[in-house]
Amino acid sequence: MTIVMKKTSMSLLFARGARLLLFGLIAGPVIAGTFGIMVPAFGWFPPLGGETFSLAPINAVLNAPGIWQSAWLSLSTALLATALSYFCVMMFLAVMWEHGRVGWLVRALAPLLSVPHITIAVGLLFLLQPSGWLARLISPALSGWERPPIFGIVPDDYGMVLVFGLMIKEIPFLLLMALSALSQLPAHQWIATSRSLGHGPISSWCLIVQPNLAPRLLLPVSIVLIFCISVVDMAIILAPTTPPPLSLRVLNWFQDPDLTARFTASAAALFQVLLAGIAVCLWTILRWLCGIIQRTSVRSGIRFHWLSKSSRPLCFLGVVLIALPCAIGALGLGVSLVWSVAEVWRFPDILPSRWGLLAWSAGSVSLWDAAINTVLIGVSSAGLALVMVIVWCELTPEAGSEGQRKTISEMPFYIPLLIPQIAFLFGLQIMLVWLSLDGVYVTLIWAHLLFVFPYVLLSLGPAWRRWDNRLDDVGAALGASRIERLIRIKLPVLIMPIMTSLAVGFAVSAALYLPTIFVGGGRIVTLTTEAVTLASGAGRQNLGAATALQMALPLIIFLCADTVSRRRLFRRGSARSHR
Amino acid sequence: MLAKTPWPFIASLRLLLIAFFLTAIASTHLRADSFADLTRMARGQTVYFNAWGGSPSINAYIGWVGEQLKQRYDITLVHVKLTDTSEAVSRILAEKVAGKSSEGSVDLIWVNGENFASMKRDGLLRTDEWAFELPSFAYTDSKALPAILSDFAVPTEGQESPWGRAQLVFAYDSRYVETPPRSAIDLADWIGANPGRFSFPQPPDFTGTSFLKQIALELAPDRSVFMRPAEDADKDAALQPLWQWLEKVYPALWRGGISYPANYTDMVQLLGDGELSFAMAFNPAEFSNGIASGVLPETVRSYIHQSGTLANVHFVAVPFNASASEAARVTADFLLSPEAQIRKARADIWGDPTVLALHRLPKDMQKAFTRMARGPATLSEAELGRTLPEPHPSWVAVIEEGWNRRFLLR
Repeated sequence: MTIVMKKTSMSLLFARGARLLLFGLIAGPVIAGTFGIMVPAFGWFPPLGGETFSLAPINAVLNAPGIWQSAWLSLSTALLATALSYFCVMMFLAVMWEHGRVGWLVRALAPLLSVPHITIAVGLLFLLQPSGWLARLISPALSGWERPPIFGIVPDDYGMVLVFGLMIKEIPFLLLMALSALSQLPAHQWIATSRSLGHGPISSWCLIVQPNLAPRLLLPVSIVLIFCISVVDMAIILAPTTPPPLSLRVLNWFQDPDLTARFTASAAALFQVLLAGIAVCLWTILRWLCGIIQRTSVRSGIRFHWLSKSSRPLCFLGVVLIALPCAIGALGLGVSLVWSVAEVWRFPDILPSRWGLLAWSAGSVSLWDAAINTVLIGVSSAGLALVMVIVWCELTPEAGSEGQRKTISEMPFYIPLLIPQIAFLFGLQIMLVWLSLDGVYVTLIWAHLLFVFPYVLLSLGPAWRRWDNRLDDVGAALGASRIERLIRIKLPVLIMPIMTSLAVGFAVSAALYLPTIFVGGGRIVTLTTEAVTLASGAGRQNLGAATALQMALPLIIFLCADTVSRRRLFRRGSARSHR
Repeated sequence: MLAKTPWPFIASLRLLLIAFFLTAIASTHLRADSFADLTRMARGQTVYFNAWGGSPSINAYIGWVGEQLKQRYDITLVHVKLTDTSEAVSRILAEKVAGKSSEGSVDLIWVNGENFASMKRDGLLRTDEWAFELPSFAYTDSKALPAILSDFAVPTEGQESPWGRAQLVFAYDSRYVETPPRSAIDLADWIGANPGRFSFPQPPDFTGTSFLKQIALELAPDRSVFMRPAEDADKDAALQPLWQWLEKVYPALWRGGISYPANYTDMVQLLGDGELSFAMAFNPAEFSNGIASGVLPETVRSYIHQSGTLANVHFVAVPFNASASEAARVTADFLLSPEAQIRKARADIWGDPTVLALHRLPKDMQKAFTRMARGPATLSEAELGRTLPEPHPSWVAVIEEGWNRRFLLR
């Protein structure tokens, strides 16, 4: 008895130590970096002449024309995009989950996950603008337009196009997260029970599965919400600009050549953090309200027959809700790729009138170095993150036993995803320069780890936690040590989620722009830094070429990971039978 | 007392003359000598040149500069491609905060007048008048091009070295516009008659704000107000004509003034798509380049306003803490050399006009400049002759603030 006690307290100690260490590595720098804007937000920054604390920067933000409209635009588009994405994913799962086999879906959506936001935005704009592809389809034959008409719907006043653009990117992510969370729940049994009680498949989902799924998705949803609030590249293209959303105003202040605007910028960034917090609170309230409705309807025993009668159109609707945004995203991506090999493509031509590889030759200057850096940094940060996540999960098996408690204890690791990047990167940069650690590969890999680790934890954690301990017991009974059991049983069995999370980690690392610029001192180039700079000036042709480059590596890694895990599973087909 | 007899005056004049000659000789002597030293010290150094990387042709030109520097001076040039100059300024600022007064990560930075004014004021630049001491600086003529010494009305004091010339140039598609409007008044009439086909990049974009400055200067009864700091002037009175002009045209702007192009490249794209009839840019060769790359149709031509358009000079500067400040200065000198300037001005390379004064160049180099082929939508030097000087940089904030207050909430 005492030995067991000692063992648990030891492992608890280990777990605490590991948590402290991870906290120091992952959340610490972000919190420290945030001070880098807290201080100037209150007027103190001697290098720029701010010698005393004051509320002037905060007043400057609050008095900026249209700042409340900007804040409202950010908040409303983020909440709407998140809520709609969530709704679409839930609708889809409600009608399709029972039909099983969703693995193909994950593979089909993987490419969309690695498409840069800016490409989706440009693609969407090119479809919808007055000179865009849809207008070209009907011109001049049907519309009579020899020249693009002067009315436009992109961007619209309320940011609906931005909401749609965000949905294209967030639906695949939320779907992946929902599938991963679902694997921890006995959803099939619940649905069967509830159907035997006379509920239709959809109301079973809404009343029983979704309420249990929601707390497990709180973290991914918060990440999506905060991402939508701080999104810049997509907003530049799709958001209304009179006034623009808060994120763009923060960026404008940070980019102001007059350096004293940085006080205002810092205060505005702080405002954005606050807004992100408000958004998460609102989401929680929304969830609570839905919970009340759901509980009332369960207690009242209402059966929603109209939801079960004609399930065919509903199935169709569920699929369309997911397929439409994804298909439009894919179309936008396709159009971008066509642009990369187009030289002349004018209104009202449906296809380019002159093809060429100009954009590709322009982008090829320092591409080789950039590709090597991307692979080096991506593989090492994703690999490190993977090892860290595995060690963390092994040290804290008890954290997984209760959904709620787990999210609380792991929350600090997600801080890098929950604070807008621009808010802490400058402070982090000052810290690194001060320590003479800027512009070094090791530091950059670690900076990428801040973002890669939480995503790997998010995608591997649930699979690891639902591990069937009986397999471990069998191994132990055969005399295998803990390490042996890990390497010879757990890793092979979990090869699929491990490879997937490795690929996710790589894709996250490969897409990071601001952290690479800030921490790499501009001296370490990756495919993304090259692509984003090219996209900042040159036209759609270059953006298309840049996108292809940016997507290529993550896609290759995804395919490799997929092949490895499938081959592995095939060889040890029996390993699969544990579920 | 001294002025009573003419002799002391003449004597002092003579003294002055002698002193002048002596310093002239001394300074030329010093120049050559110190530059030789500079190149010796620069050997083997690596210059991190932080410059906007959004244009493939500019990137290729900087690549060529790198090759030349390697051959001639054994300097390695690394182009740190920026999406926005603020990224590098931010880094220099972070280094200053962290107390890193040498071994900085930026050796040379491409700046415009606004960046310069702010970086100079906040002490982020090397201050020893190094730019005046570069041998190639002798080929410039500040009388012919005052902007070399006064960048956005801020004295450069040798803290930045000129690199190229920029002038606000408009373009139109001749399929849709027969004769382009050559003044702010005519432009307003055209916009009123052709709603939905004109716009400008949304301030605080550099080109967009410049367009507003252009209109303000054109309509101002007295332009000298804008050459002084905005704090010293009656701001509202000075900008009143601009706001009236905008109030008049804005309902007929593209998308009814609800949305604007994000920047000039966006605007060029919209001209190519046919949504807009006009575009504007700061590089006179921009539109010919656009035709060559297929973004713009061959019917696009460029023009400037009769009163002249905003003209400025873009520069390179060395931060206060540059690691390779010697090689950075040698690089700045090479960028200013006639050879590099000729190549930069070529329409098929970049098309950026030179900052050198032709009359100070050897004959063959003058010829190289004057015989250079222009693109179909590029104006000649003579046509570009009329320029307006940039207002004092303090006006930028005033104009942007006023624009935000009036037009951001439509």
